[in-house]
Amino acid sequence: MKYKRNGNVSLLLFTLPALAVYIIFKLYPAVSGIFYSLTNWNGLSREYDFVGMENFVELLTDTYFWDSLKFTTLYVIALLLVANAAALILAVAVESVKKGKGVFRTIFCLPNMISMIIGGYMWQFIFYKVFYYMADNFGWKFLDKSWAGDSKYAFLSIVIVAAWGCIGYLMIIYMAGLQGVPAHLLEAAALDGANGWQKFWNVTFPMIRPALTICIFWTLNSAFQVFDVIYSLTGGGPGRSTQSVAINIYEEAFQGNIRYGYATAKSTVLFLIIFVITAVQLKIMQKKEEEL
Amino acid sequence: MKKKVLSIMLCLALTASAVGCGSGGSEDNGEKPEEAELNILMSFPQYMEQWEGYCRQFEEKMLEEENIKVKVNLEMPSSDQYDSVLQTRLTGDDAPDLFTIHANNIAKYTEAGYLADLTGSEGVSKVYDDVKKTVMVDEKVMAVPIESTAWGVVYNKEMFEDAGIELPETLDDLRQVCEKLKAKGYTPFMLAFQEQWVPQLMTALTLGGLVSGEKTDWLDRMYEDQGSYEEVKEIFDVIDLIMENGTDRAMEEGAEMGAADFANGKAAMYVNGFSTATMMETNPDLQIGMFPLPVNDNEECTKINLSTSTVLGVYEGGEQKELAMKFADYVLDDEDSSQLFQDCGFNPIAPCHDYETTPWVQEAYKYVEEGRSYQDLVLPSAVTDEQGKLLQELYVGNVTVDDIIPRLDQAFQEANKLAQ
Repeated sequence: MKYKRNGNVSLLLFTLPALAVYIIFKLYPAVSGIFYSLTNWNGLSREYDFVGMENFVELLTDTYFWDSLKFTTLYVIALLLVANAAALILAVAVESVKKGKGVFRTIFCLPNMISMIIGGYMWQFIFYKVFYYMADNFGWKFLDKSWAGDSKYAFLSIVIVAAWGCIGYLMIIYMAGLQGVPAHLLEAAALDGANGWQKFWNVTFPMIRPALTICIFWTLNSAFQVFDVIYSLTGGGPGRSTQSVAINIYEEAFQGNIRYGYATAKSTVLFLIIFVITAVQLKIMQKKEEEL
Repeated sequence: MKKKVLSIMLCLALTASAVGCGSGGSEDNGEKPEEAELNILMSFPQYMEQWEGYCRQFEEKMLEEENIKVKVNLEMPSSDQYDSVLQTRLTGDDAPDLFTIHANNIAKYTEAGYLADLTGSEGVSKVYDDVKKTVMVDEKVMAVPIESTAWGVVYNKEMFEDAGIELPETLDDLRQVCEKLKAKGYTPFMLAFQEQWVPQLMTALTLGGLVSGEKTDWLDRMYEDQGSYEEVKEIFDVIDLIMENGTDRAMEEGAEMGAADFANGKAAMYVNGFSTATMMETNPDLQIGMFPLPVNDNEECTKINLSTSTVLGVYEGGEQKELAMKFADYVLDDEDSSQLFQDCGFNPIAPCHDYETTPWVQEAYKYVEEGRSYQDLVLPSAVTDEQGKLLQELYVGNVTVDDIIPRLDQAFQEANKLAQ
């Protein structure tokens, strides 16, 4: 008994550094953020007043915030579909290759290694310079769109770049899932006369459900907080038409009127939204997994 | 067990002795110089080299004259993130001894108690009175002005000569200028609206001209919630004219890219006095000049905009405040500062700046000498941002002028409310 308790203490000691880092850099800022959301702090002065729920009440009628939430939701849906579909297709394709699997995996995974701020600026060059060059010199008129000026195309460009950045990561998870599909099940299905699509849809797809859960969770979570791609690609423009919630919060906290308290109120709301949606998603998908 | 205790004790002793070494050096006051460290945060990474050199000169000067061995740590975050970095440092008890801010924010930082009073210090006493006014709050000088810029329309002299154009004085003149340029096959205006501050310049120049020439009380009334953008709606006549006669794909063009394209002859005029260094770098043979942007048909409103943008403040509560004040004085040093200001391409702000400026600056300052200039208006920065955003949306056709006016009024009133 005594030995066991000692074991627990030493285990606790081992987790202590990680726990300390988590508390200092994650938990404390989060909790202090919630605290500041109840104040009118401007992020600068040494004094501030406690204003209760005032910030949250104001938020209800803040059209710029709700517009940015609408934009973010559309972005989440688009990225969820585009990135996951593309990543799954790539994973299946790379898995089915006999030789050079590692090479393809590395190539498709490369964009994920690049910071999205840099990726954004790279693509900015492609959209605003290379595309126009091709449109003007090769006659590829379909590229001659206002990539930053037209909200539709600005949205499209953001989704393209974001998907380009995260497909590699998702693909790796799907590939891990695919490798876990037992070969004998596929063989049995083949013996029963199933064609390629039937084998995938009825055997492989149900077997990679856990990977799907992780990927959807990750995309939902990160897409709701999107900042870097949009910041470097369109800066939220023209005007506010490609402003995500995170960019709206950033502007509130650091630009214009500099309202730190109000900005933290916005981020508290964003946190709650993400929390609820991902919790529901996990619940549903786990239930589905259990049913299998 | 004993060994363990011993080793821990040894470690502690070692650390303690190392700490002792660090602080021991400076207490020796005989012949050895006093040691000090000065942290400076600045917002122009493009002049990193020039300022690094200047800091080294300051270190030498201090060692020679005051027997202080100063180590200057100069940091220059990118201008996009500068404000958030500074804010975090100030509130996080990691304040730099000196930092740059925009002149429009002096009052805000003074109120928060971050700026030391520089009234009567040697450096700022040299500054021209007109420029000094831009860094004063309640009759006190709160910062050292650094960047003072003339704003107007930069134009390509060769194209203007080719089309036989005289500089426009009224809006009608400007219309004719556009027609003449187009007849010669030139695109009149360079448009680079990707960054919001560039389209915003059009409102800054037109509002400034209008307020200084005709509607002198408009801004005061705006601050009292008594005015409206409806009264200055005519500024959109010029803005429309510029947008209609500009280059394509403006939203995909950044300010610097625009300057390079302008230098390569893509357009004849560019509303931007800021990127001239890029222009000259792209095309050293380029002949440029500057004229004030006409707002309407009243020549009284056609004036050059003089503004102080970046200023240097001394942190009020810093440990090295005295030394920081010395650096602030040194920024306007009689002997050395002229070279620095010239190297950075800043305009002269004190009599000791006796270098020759570029021809276009001389042209712009001719208007200033004739009294045809005004101090840049100070709008709440939320309103400035909003103007930039709305002009982008106006350009791409998401909003009309009639949509913009109530939104700007609202932004102004909100800023007023929050400032109280």
